[in-house]
Amino acid sequence: MVKLEFHDPSGALEVTVPHAPRLASLAGKRIGFVSNEQWQAYRMLPMLKEMLEQDFPGVTVLPINTFPQGNALIGTEETAALVRKSRVDAVIVGNAA
Amino acid sequence: MRNAVSGVGLAPDAAMVTFPIPMFLPGSDLSSLQARKREFYDGLTRWKSEFAQAAGSAKLIAVEGATYEDALVKANSLLLANLWGDGLPLWPATKSRVDWILRGSALPRTHVLGKFPPRGGITTLETCAIALAMAGGRPEYLPVLTAAVEACLEAEGFDQLQATSGGPFPAVIVNGPIAKQIRLNSGFGLLGPDPQRPAGASIGRALRLLQQNVGGALPGVGTMAIFGAMRYTNAVFAEDEDGLPPGWLPHATHRHGFAPGTNSVSVVFASGVTNVRRRGAKKESPEEDALNGMWRMADFMRTPNLAALAGWEKGTPGIMMLPPIVARRMAELGWTQDSIREFLWENSRIPMDQMRRAGAPAWIEIDANPVTRASLSLDPWPICQKPDNIVLLVAGGGHPTHSYWLQAHAPSVPGRVIRTPETFEQLLAEANRDLH
Repeated sequence: MVKLEFHDPSGALEVTVPHAPRLASLAGKRIGFVSNEQWQAYRMLPMLKEMLEQDFPGVTVLPINTFPQGNALIGTEETAALVRKSRVDAVIVGNAA
Repeated sequence: MRNAVSGVGLAPDAAMVTFPIPMFLPGSDLSSLQARKREFYDGLTRWKSEFAQAAGSAKLIAVEGATYEDALVKANSLLLANLWGDGLPLWPATKSRVDWILRGSALPRTHVLGKFPPRGGITTLETCAIALAMAGGRPEYLPVLTAAVEACLEAEGFDQLQATSGGPFPAVIVNGPIAKQIRLNSGFGLLGPDPQRPAGASIGRALRLLQQNVGGALPGVGTMAIFGAMRYTNAVFAEDEDGLPPGWLPHATHRHGFAPGTNSVSVVFASGVTNVRRRGAKKESPEEDALNGMWRMADFMRTPNLAALAGWEKGTPGIMMLPPIVARRMAELGWTQDSIREFLWENSRIPMDQMRRAGAPAWIEIDANPVTRASLSLDPWPICQKPDNIVLLVAGGGHPTHSYWLQAHAPSVPGRVIRTPETFEQLLAEANRDLH
């Protein structure tokens, strides 16, 4: 038998930032949206907001335009700072395609 | 959308809810949002990353076959099964082959060039050598590949360029004597393939493999490139510096300020290629022939290429290549690099009523750059801020009929000096021995 040994070409990955811990429940929590205003986000995210408000007692869902919108703005440090300052428990980001 | 977050240090998976693309189109039926709302809730409450971090450098994989050919087939099948191939036969990156390629490096194999977005794979000299080995490369190609990778990693918005549906591909322009030394094409068929000058194919294919395997730009998964043109080898070629008319500057000197004779790369992300039949057909005078050709080039450029908005201020709308014989004739008629760029810029401006007809102003209004947004007041609208944005190259075969336009999606045009090892002359001597 001939053995051929070769390198995995995919390069190592390094995780330096853990994903945020998940919430035990959405009831009574404060939820925000970060929207790029693309791909029908202007229709979908308000629907999600309404569903969350119907399904979880005491939940506070911030208006869709609470934070800066658009691809040019949602990835900035300024937007991240505003999200932190708002004291939300969780954020839904959309939409990508 | 796999890998969308790992480039920023998170694990490569993330809590996402995905739907078929028709849901994201205007007027779509959104009823499935209600039906699948639980997935959103679970993403915020129950989701867990399944990523297990692997330590160390590139691991070795083994296959066995009854013969070498059998093992080679199995290796290629395994590369495809692991989504590490491009559909063409590959050289498995054996330890000896990677060590051989690494002779072309002026830096240690563990030297980190950066994280390749969007997946964020750590890119070392060894990672580059593995890709070059798979692509059939040679040690003397490694300095150009390394510089091209560095330039890509510093390109503005590289994570988006890797993932976008527009599918831009890196066009790597090489200046300096290294181009001829390693058999990089600047003449007939410079976009390849060319067995007489094979370097561009290997370097470009290796870069593409890095984009896919390390950067995660797998079609339909990590890159939404709808068509994905030029993605087997990208475009790696040299400017024909011998063909520059007297007084004309090499591209790297004009764009990056590198001294003539400096080995360097310059990377433009291009989203398309267009041949322009430039030469006249009848009894045009030399002046008419040149001017008609210039108008035809400007006419091709005069399009609302909205992907190029990203480079409106600092990048480029594209690369215009003139064959050396055309550049020489035009220089004899008094044209300069500046006057050619000025003509193309001025005459590729688009009347604002045409822009409005195409819905283009909306894209300008949402552009991230306020300078670009302010351009809406210009009528006719210039395709870039200033003539110097246009990359003008002397390249291609010694034939006057065509010029070539590579329209860009290039927020920036990064340039890097190429570093070669002290043993480079020896590597070139070995290449002469092997390829003659």
